[in-house]
Amino acid sequence: MSKEYNIDKIAERINRIEDVLASVAAGDLDARINAEAEDDLSGIEAAIDLLIDDLTDELKQREKMQKEVEDKLSKIQEQQKTILQQQADLLELSSPVSKVWDNVLILPVIGTLDSQRTQVMMENLLEKIVETGCTISILDITGVPTVDTQVANHLLKTVTSARLLGAECIISGISPAIAQTIVHLGIDLSTIKTKATLQDAMIFAMKQNKRSENVKLQSLFTSSDEKEE
Amino acid sequence: MLGLTSDINWETLSKHLIDSENNIVEVRQLVRYHAKQLSMGIIDQTRITTAVSELLRNMYNYGGGGEVLIEKGIVDDKISLIITCTDHGSGIEDLELAMSDGYTSGNGMGYGLPGAKRLVDRFEIKSELNMGTIVRVMKWK
Repeated sequence: MSKEYNIDKIAERINRIEDVLASVAAGDLDARINAEAEDDLSGIEAAIDLLIDDLTDELKQREKMQKEVEDKLSKIQEQQKTILQQQADLLELSSPVSKVWDNVLILPVIGTLDSQRTQVMMENLLEKIVETGCTISILDITGVPTVDTQVANHLLKTVTSARLLGAECIISGISPAIAQTIVHLGIDLSTIKTKATLQDAMIFAMKQNKRSENVKLQSLFTSSDEKEE
Repeated sequence: MLGLTSDINWETLSKHLIDSENNIVEVRQLVRYHAKQLSMGIIDQTRITTAVSELLRNMYNYGGGGEVLIEKGIVDDKISLIITCTDHGSGIEDLELAMSDGYTSGNGMGYGLPGAKRLVDRFEIKSELNMGTIVRVMKWK
Protein backbone atom coordinates (compact mmCIF):
# COMPACT_ATOMS: atom_id res chain seq x y z
CA MET A 1 0.00 0.00 0.00
CA SER A 2 1.46 3.29 -0.97
CA LYS A 3 0.98 6.58 0.79
CA GLU A 4 -0.43 9.48 -1.06
CA TYR A 5 1.91 12.29 -1.68
CA ASN A 6 0.88 15.75 -2.45
CA ILE A 7 3.46 16.91 -4.99
CA ASP A 8 2.81 20.59 -4.34
CA LYS A 9 3.17 20.08 -0.59
CA ILE A 10 6.45 18.25 -1.07
CA ALA A 11 7.80 20.89 -3.43
CA GLU A 12 6.93 23.51 -0.82
CA ARG A 13 8.78 21.61 1.89
CA ILE A 14 11.83 21.16 -0.29
CA ASN A 15 11.75 24.86 -1.00
CA ARG A 16 11.62 25.43 2.76
CA ILE A 17 14.71 23.23 3.23
CA GLU A 18 16.54 25.17 0.55
CA ASP A 19 15.60 28.46 2.18
CA VAL A 20 16.83 27.34 5.60
CA LEU A 21 20.10 26.04 4.19
CA ALA A 22 20.56 29.29 2.32
CA SER A 23 20.02 31.38 5.43
CA VAL A 24 22.41 29.19 7.45
CA ALA A 25 24.98 29.60 4.74
CA ALA A 26 24.40 33.33 4.94
CA GLY A 27 25.19 33.24 8.64
CA ASP A 28 21.78 32.98 10.30
CA LEU A 29 22.34 30.12 12.70
CA ASP A 30 18.89 30.39 14.28
CA ALA A 31 17.11 29.21 11.13
CA ARG A 32 15.50 25.78 11.50
CA ILE A 33 13.07 23.77 9.38
CA ASN A 34 10.91 22.63 12.30
CA ALA A 35 8.97 20.06 10.32
CA GLU A 36 5.46 19.32 11.48
CA ALA A 37 4.42 16.31 9.43
CA GLU A 38 5.67 12.80 10.19
CA ASP A 39 6.74 11.08 6.99
CA ASP A 40 9.78 10.05 4.95
CA LEU A 41 10.84 13.62 4.28
CA SER A 42 10.58 14.68 7.92
CA GLY A 43 13.53 12.42 8.76
CA ILE A 44 15.71 14.40 6.41
CA GLU A 45 14.34 17.66 7.75
CA ALA A 46 15.07 16.63 11.33
CA ALA A 47 18.57 15.50 10.38
CA ILE A 48 19.28 18.84 8.73
CA ASP A 49 18.05 20.66 11.86
CA LEU A 50 20.33 18.51 13.99
CA LEU A 51 23.25 19.24 11.70
CA ILE A 52 22.61 22.96 12.01
CA ASP A 53 22.46 22.57 15.81
CA ASP A 54 25.85 20.84 15.83
CA LEU A 55 27.32 23.42 13.52
CA THR A 56 26.06 26.22 15.76
CA ASP A 57 27.57 24.60 18.83
CA GLU A 58 30.88 24.08 17.07
CA LEU A 59 31.02 27.66 15.89
CA LYS A 60 30.18 29.02 19.32
CA GLN A 61 32.87 26.85 20.86
CA ARG A 62 35.39 28.08 18.39
CA GLU A 63 34.44 31.69 18.96
CA LYS A 64 34.86 31.18 22.67
CA MET A 65 38.25 29.63 22.22
CA GLN A 66 39.36 32.37 19.91
CA LYS A 67 38.33 34.93 22.45
CA GLU A 68 40.25 33.11 25.15
CA VAL A 69 43.36 32.98 22.98
CA GLU A 70 43.04 36.65 22.21
CA ASP A 71 42.64 37.44 25.90
CA LYS A 72 45.72 35.42 26.74
CA LEU A 73 47.67 37.06 23.96
CA SER A 74 46.85 40.53 25.14
CA LYS A 75 47.76 39.52 28.68
CA ILE A 76 51.11 38.21 27.49
CA GLN A 77 51.72 41.36 25.51
CA GLU A 78 51.01 43.39 28.60
CA GLN A 79 53.40 41.26 30.62
CA GLN A 80 56.04 41.66 27.99
CA LYS A 81 55.62 45.39 28.17
CA THR A 82 56.08 45.25 31.93
CA ILE A 83 59.18 43.11 31.56
CA LEU A 84 60.72 45.51 29.08
CA GLN A 85 59.91 48.42 31.36
CA GLN A 86 61.44 46.61 34.31
CA GLN A 87 64.53 45.75 32.31
CA ALA A 88 64.98 49.40 31.55
CA ASP A 89 64.44 50.27 35.20
CA LEU A 90 66.86 47.59 36.29
CA LEU A 91 69.48 48.90 33.94
CA GLU A 92 69.39 52.21 35.75
CA LEU A 93 69.08 50.72 39.19
CA SER A 94 71.81 48.19 38.81
CA SER A 95 74.64 50.63 38.34
CA PRO A 96 74.71 52.74 41.47
CA VAL A 97 77.96 54.59 42.05
CA SER A 98 78.43 55.83 45.58
CA LYS A 99 81.10 57.75 47.36
CA VAL A 100 82.03 55.78 50.45
CA TRP A 101 85.04 57.69 51.73
CA ASP A 102 87.08 60.75 50.92
CA ASN A 103 88.28 60.26 47.40
CA VAL A 104 86.83 56.73 47.07
CA LEU A 105 83.94 55.63 44.84
CA ILE A 106 82.35 52.20 44.85
CA LEU A 107 80.47 50.59 42.00
CA PRO A 108 79.05 47.19 42.90
CA VAL A 109 78.27 45.16 39.80
CA ILE A 110 75.66 42.45 40.11
CA GLY A 111 74.48 40.01 37.46
CA THR A 112 75.46 39.88 33.84
CA LEU A 113 77.49 42.52 32.07
CA ASP A 114 76.20 42.90 28.56
CA SER A 115 77.21 45.72 26.27
CA GLN A 116 74.21 47.86 27.06
CA ARG A 117 74.69 47.58 30.79
CA THR A 118 78.38 48.24 30.59
CA GLN A 119 77.61 51.40 28.68
CA VAL A 120 75.27 52.65 31.41
CA MET A 121 77.69 51.56 34.11
CA MET A 122 80.62 53.28 32.47
CA GLU A 123 78.71 56.50 31.94
CA ASN A 124 77.55 56.53 35.57
CA LEU A 125 81.05 55.92 36.85
CA LEU A 126 82.74 58.50 34.65
CA GLU A 127 80.15 61.14 35.47
CA LYS A 128 80.55 60.48 39.15
CA ILE A 129 84.35 60.66 38.89
CA VAL A 130 84.11 64.07 37.28
CA GLU A 131 81.41 65.23 39.67
CA THR A 132 83.18 64.20 42.89
CA GLY A 133 86.78 64.50 41.80
CA CYS A 134 87.52 61.14 43.41
CA THR A 135 90.74 59.53 42.23
CA ILE A 136 90.08 55.98 43.37
CA SER A 137 87.13 53.90 42.26
CA ILE A 138 86.44 50.32 43.25
CA LEU A 139 84.55 48.04 40.87
CA ASP A 140 83.22 45.17 42.94
CA ILE A 141 82.30 42.15 40.82
CA THR A 142 81.38 39.77 43.66
CA GLY A 143 77.89 39.59 42.18
CA VAL A 144 79.01 38.66 38.67
CA PRO A 145 78.77 34.86 38.36
CA THR A 146 80.48 34.49 35.00
CA VAL A 147 83.40 36.46 33.63
CA ASP A 148 83.97 35.62 29.99
CA THR A 149 86.07 37.52 27.49
CA GLN A 150 83.29 39.96 26.75
CA VAL A 151 82.82 40.87 30.41
CA ALA A 152 86.59 41.16 30.86
CA ASN A 153 86.77 43.35 27.78
CA HIS A 154 84.06 45.62 29.17
CA LEU A 155 85.84 45.84 32.51
CA LEU A 156 89.12 46.71 30.80
CA LYS A 157 87.44 49.45 28.79
CA THR A 158 85.79 50.89 31.89
CA VAL A 159 89.09 50.92 33.77
CA THR A 160 90.91 52.51 30.85
CA SER A 161 88.38 55.28 30.45
CA ALA A 162 88.39 55.98 34.20
CA ARG A 163 92.16 56.22 34.02
CA LEU A 164 91.87 58.80 31.26
CA LEU A 165 89.93 60.93 33.74
CA GLY A 166 92.70 60.55 36.28
CA ALA A 167 91.01 57.98 38.49
CA GLU A 168 92.55 54.67 39.38
CA CYS A 169 90.21 51.68 39.23
CA ILE A 170 90.49 48.70 41.51
CA ILE A 171 88.55 45.55 40.68
CA SER A 172 87.55 43.53 43.71
CA GLY A 173 85.50 40.44 44.40
CA ILE A 174 87.28 38.03 42.08
CA SER A 175 86.55 34.53 43.32
CA PRO A 176 89.17 31.75 43.06
CA ALA A 177 87.08 30.02 40.39
CA ILE A 178 86.84 33.18 38.32
CA ALA A 179 90.54 33.89 38.77
CA GLN A 180 91.41 30.48 37.34
CA THR A 181 88.94 30.89 34.51
CA ILE A 182 90.40 34.25 33.53
CA VAL A 183 93.90 32.75 33.42
CA HIS A 184 92.73 29.85 31.27
CA LEU A 185 90.94 32.15 28.92
CA GLY A 186 94.27 33.89 28.48
CA ILE A 187 93.03 37.35 29.42
CA ASP A 188 95.73 39.67 30.69
CA LEU A 189 94.42 41.78 33.55
CA SER A 190 97.89 42.57 34.86
CA THR A 191 97.50 46.22 33.97
CA ILE A 192 94.62 46.49 36.41
CA LYS A 193 94.84 46.59 40.17
CA THR A 194 92.74 43.68 41.44
CA LYS A 195 91.85 42.53 44.95
CA ALA A 196 90.13 39.41 46.23
CA THR A 197 87.59 41.14 48.44
CA LEU A 198 85.95 44.52 48.74
CA GLN A 199 87.61 44.86 52.12
CA ASP A 200 91.08 44.46 50.63
CA ALA A 201 90.22 47.02 48.01
CA MET A 202 89.01 49.48 50.68
CA ILE A 203 92.20 49.01 52.72
CA PHE A 204 94.27 49.58 49.60
CA ALA A 205 92.27 52.69 48.77
CA MET A 206 92.74 54.09 52.30
CA LYS A 207 96.49 53.52 52.16
CA GLN A 208 96.62 55.17 48.79
CA ASN A 209 94.66 58.09 50.23
CA LYS A 210 97.03 58.46 53.15
CA ARG A 211 100.05 58.36 50.88
CA SER A 212 98.69 61.08 48.64
CA GLU A 213 97.84 63.18 51.70
CA ASN A 214 101.39 62.75 52.97
CA VAL A 215 102.76 63.75 49.62
CA LYS A 216 100.51 66.81 49.65
CA LEU A 217 101.62 67.73 53.17
CA GLN A 218 105.26 67.21 52.27
CA SER A 219 104.98 69.37 49.22
CA LEU A 220 103.24 71.98 51.35
CA PHE A 221 106.13 71.93 53.87
CA THR A 222 108.83 71.99 51.26
CA SER A 223 107.23 74.87 49.45
CA SER A 224 106.91 76.87 52.69
CA ASP A 225 110.52 75.99 53.54
CA GLU A 226 111.60 77.28 50.21
CA LYS A 227 109.79 80.52 50.82
CA GLU A 228 111.60 81.02 54.13
CA GLU A 229 114.93 80.57 52.48
CA MET B 1 78.25 15.73 11.60
CA LEU B 2 81.24 13.69 10.56
CA GLY B 3 84.39 14.01 12.57
CA LEU B 4 82.83 14.84 15.91
CA THR B 5 82.81 12.41 18.81
CA SER B 6 79.33 11.11 19.39
CA ASP B 7 77.52 8.28 21.07
CA ILE B 8 73.92 7.16 20.80
CA ASN B 9 73.91 6.42 24.51
CA TRP B 10 74.27 10.06 25.45
CA GLU B 11 71.25 11.41 27.21
CA THR B 12 69.83 14.70 25.96
CA LEU B 13 69.30 17.08 28.87
CA SER B 14 67.98 20.04 26.94
CA LYS B 15 67.95 21.87 23.64
CA HIS B 16 67.80 25.61 23.07
CA LEU B 17 67.58 28.21 20.40
CA ILE B 18 69.89 31.19 20.71
CA ASP B 19 68.48 34.32 19.17
CA SER B 20 69.06 37.00 21.78
CA GLU B 21 71.49 38.01 24.49
CA ASN B 22 69.00 36.91 27.14
CA ASN B 23 69.06 33.36 25.80
CA ILE B 24 72.80 33.29 26.38
CA VAL B 25 72.40 34.06 30.06
CA GLU B 26 69.58 31.56 30.39
CA VAL B 27 71.49 28.69 28.78
CA ARG B 28 74.60 29.57 30.71
CA GLN B 29 72.72 29.27 33.98
CA LEU B 30 71.35 25.94 32.84
CA VAL B 31 74.81 24.64 32.01
CA ARG B 32 75.95 25.60 35.48
CA TYR B 33 72.95 23.81 36.92
CA HIS B 34 73.66 20.61 34.98
CA ALA B 35 77.34 20.75 35.93
CA LYS B 36 76.26 21.00 39.54
CA GLN B 37 73.90 18.06 39.04
CA LEU B 38 76.88 16.01 37.85
CA SER B 39 78.53 17.03 41.15
CA MET B 40 81.32 18.98 39.50
CA GLY B 41 83.24 21.32 41.78
CA ILE B 42 82.74 25.07 41.70
CA ILE B 43 85.87 25.58 39.61
CA ASP B 44 84.80 23.08 36.95
CA GLN B 45 81.30 24.55 36.98
CA THR B 46 82.73 27.99 36.34
CA ARG B 47 85.03 26.70 33.61
CA ILE B 48 82.39 24.93 31.56
CA THR B 49 79.93 27.78 32.06
CA THR B 50 82.46 30.35 30.88
CA ALA B 51 83.50 28.21 27.92
CA VAL B 52 79.87 27.83 26.85
CA SER B 53 79.36 31.54 27.33
CA GLU B 54 82.19 32.22 24.87
CA LEU B 55 80.78 29.80 22.32
CA LEU B 56 77.26 31.20 22.60
CA ARG B 57 78.53 34.73 22.18
CA ASN B 58 80.48 33.75 19.09
CA MET B 59 77.41 32.04 17.75
CA TYR B 60 75.24 35.06 18.46
CA ASN B 61 77.71 37.73 17.30
CA TYR B 62 79.17 36.04 14.23
CA GLY B 63 76.94 33.08 13.36
CA GLY B 64 73.62 34.89 13.58
CA GLY B 65 72.40 32.69 16.42
CA GLY B 66 71.87 28.95 16.42
CA GLU B 67 71.08 25.93 18.53
CA VAL B 68 72.60 24.46 21.64
CA LEU B 69 72.32 20.87 22.73
CA ILE B 70 73.19 19.86 26.27
CA GLU B 71 73.91 16.16 26.79
CA LYS B 72 75.17 13.87 29.48
CA GLY B 73 77.14 10.76 28.71
CA ILE B 74 80.25 8.65 29.05
CA VAL B 75 83.35 9.88 27.21
CA ASP B 76 86.55 7.88 27.68
CA ASP B 77 84.98 6.07 30.66
CA LYS B 78 84.22 9.36 32.38
CA ILE B 79 80.85 10.91 33.07
CA SER B 80 80.77 14.09 31.03
CA LEU B 81 78.69 17.06 30.17
CA ILE B 82 78.63 17.50 26.41
CA ILE B 83 77.55 20.77 24.87
CA THR B 84 77.13 21.20 21.14
CA CYS B 85 76.66 24.60 19.55
CA THR B 86 75.51 24.74 15.96
CA ASP B 87 75.10 27.83 13.84
CA HIS B 88 74.30 28.31 10.19
CA GLY B 89 76.36 31.42 9.70
CA SER B 90 79.11 32.15 7.25
CA GLY B 91 81.51 29.65 8.79
CA ILE B 92 85.14 30.19 9.74
CA GLU B 93 87.56 30.72 6.90
CA ASP B 94 90.78 29.85 8.68
CA LEU B 95 90.22 27.59 11.69
CA GLU B 96 93.86 27.67 12.72
CA LEU B 97 93.84 31.44 12.79
CA ALA B 98 90.51 31.55 14.64
CA MET B 99 91.92 29.20 17.25
CA SER B 100 94.99 31.34 17.90
CA ASP B 101 95.21 33.72 20.82
CA GLY B 102 94.53 37.34 20.17
CA TYR B 103 92.98 37.00 16.74
CA THR B 104 89.52 38.44 16.27
CA SER B 105 87.44 39.04 13.19
CA GLY B 106 85.19 41.38 15.14
CA ASN B 107 85.98 43.72 17.99
CA GLY B 108 86.38 41.14 20.74
CA MET B 109 89.57 40.33 22.57
CA GLY B 110 90.38 37.31 20.46
CA TYR B 111 90.49 34.86 23.31
CA GLY B 112 87.03 33.37 22.90
CA LEU B 113 87.68 30.15 20.98
CA PRO B 114 91.21 29.37 22.22
CA GLY B 115 90.17 30.34 25.74
CA ALA B 116 87.13 28.08 25.62
CA LYS B 117 89.36 25.28 24.41
CA ARG B 118 91.63 25.64 27.42
CA LEU B 119 88.66 25.63 29.79
CA VAL B 120 87.25 22.25 28.74
CA ASP B 121 88.55 18.67 28.62
CA ARG B 122 87.75 18.12 24.96
CA PHE B 123 87.09 20.62 22.23
CA GLU B 124 86.00 19.77 18.72
CA ILE B 125 85.19 22.20 15.97
CA LYS B 126 84.01 21.84 12.45
CA SER B 127 83.27 24.67 10.10
CA GLU B 128 82.27 24.97 6.51
CA LEU B 129 82.25 28.21 4.57
CA ASN B 130 78.73 29.55 4.09
CA MET B 131 77.32 26.46 5.81
CA GLY B 132 77.99 27.15 9.46
CA THR B 133 80.00 26.00 12.41
CA ILE B 134 79.64 23.23 14.96
CA VAL B 135 81.54 23.30 18.21
CA ARG B 136 81.32 20.42 20.67
CA VAL B 137 82.88 20.77 24.09
CA MET B 138 83.08 18.18 26.87
CA LYS B 139 83.89 18.49 30.51
CA TRP B 140 84.17 15.47 32.75
CA LYS B 141 84.31 15.09 36.48
